[in-house]
Amino acid sequence: MSTKNNRIFDPQGGKYPFRVNDEYFDNLAARVMDRIDEIDKEPVEKEEKSELKSNVFDINKNRHRNLWISSISIAASLVLIATLALKFIPTHAPAENEQTEMVAAQTAKENMDYNEDLMTYTMADNMDIYYYLLSEDFEQ
Amino acid sequence: MAKIDEKDILKRIQDPKSKRKAFEEIVNAYSRQLYWKIHYMVQNHDDTDDVLQNTLVKAWRGLDNFKGDSALFTWLYRIAYNESITFLKQRKQMMSIDDEDFVEQANFVADEYFDSDETQEMLMQAVSTLPPKQRQVFCMKYFEDRKYEEISELVGTSVGALKASYHIAVEKITFFIKSKE
Repeated sequence: MSTKNNRIFDPQGGKYPFRVNDEYFDNLAARVMDRIDEIDKEPVEKEEKSELKSNVFDINKNRHRNLWISSISIAASLVLIATLALKFIPTHAPAENEQTEMVAAQTAKENMDYNEDLMTYTMADNMDIYYYLLSEDFEQ
Repeated sequence: MAKIDEKDILKRIQDPKSKRKAFEEIVNAYSRQLYWKIHYMVQNHDDTDDVLQNTLVKAWRGLDNFKGDSALFTWLYRIAYNESITFLKQRKQMMSIDDEDFVEQANFVADEYFDSDETQEMLMQAVSTLPPKQRQVFCMKYFEDRKYEEISELVGTSVGALKASYHIAVEKITFFIKSKE
């Protein structure tokens, strides 16, 4: 094992290779107490800051409240519009249309049946109809 | 280290009139020990000074909460340890790992408080590669020759875990030095 390693494993341990002046410790208590005094003076400024902070918080709180009120108003308006729309717009319109179409279809069917019955009664065929349509009587 | 009567100090701390004087006595009694414990972690004088002052300011603020459940120095040491860890985290955030290695090593060369030879410098470079807690344990055992029981009381870790930690630290340091030879 090298000399360097022997020093590390020296059972007596080693000397910590840093030093510091004794004067540093002589003045330390005074410096710390000065710093503590400075910190103790700070609460006044901190209170002012906290007051300012609380005002800012109030403003933010009001903004937040206004936002909530706006959101609730919009939601209520939408619900009201939806309710009115459901109430006044006829929801059975498609059914009526279907009924009208059914009536029209039935009427057309009845008309066709009537024409067929008429043709059967008069014994007219398609050729008679063509001639009739081409004749001067129809044009007039 | 000037010895102080902890019971007497505790009484005087409770009294606002004598609190300040009592705290000054605490600072005078324990600041040297605290300084070196912090120095093991941050490894240069200026940073140690900052951390030590922060530690003592926090101790002053928390003095009313200290009820004497542990020894006064143990309480101060725990504050110093937490402050050192906070400081090291901040320093790590400010620089990349590669930069940090460079600065740690450069600090020893440039540090006017470093008072040793090339071998010791290499040893300290090796120590600086250890994690903070392991660094503490190694330094307290190797440089202060403290008993594991004492270290255990101070750091709040079992004797077995401390022995294992010291053993691993020695292996790491040996490996570091061999790799540099």
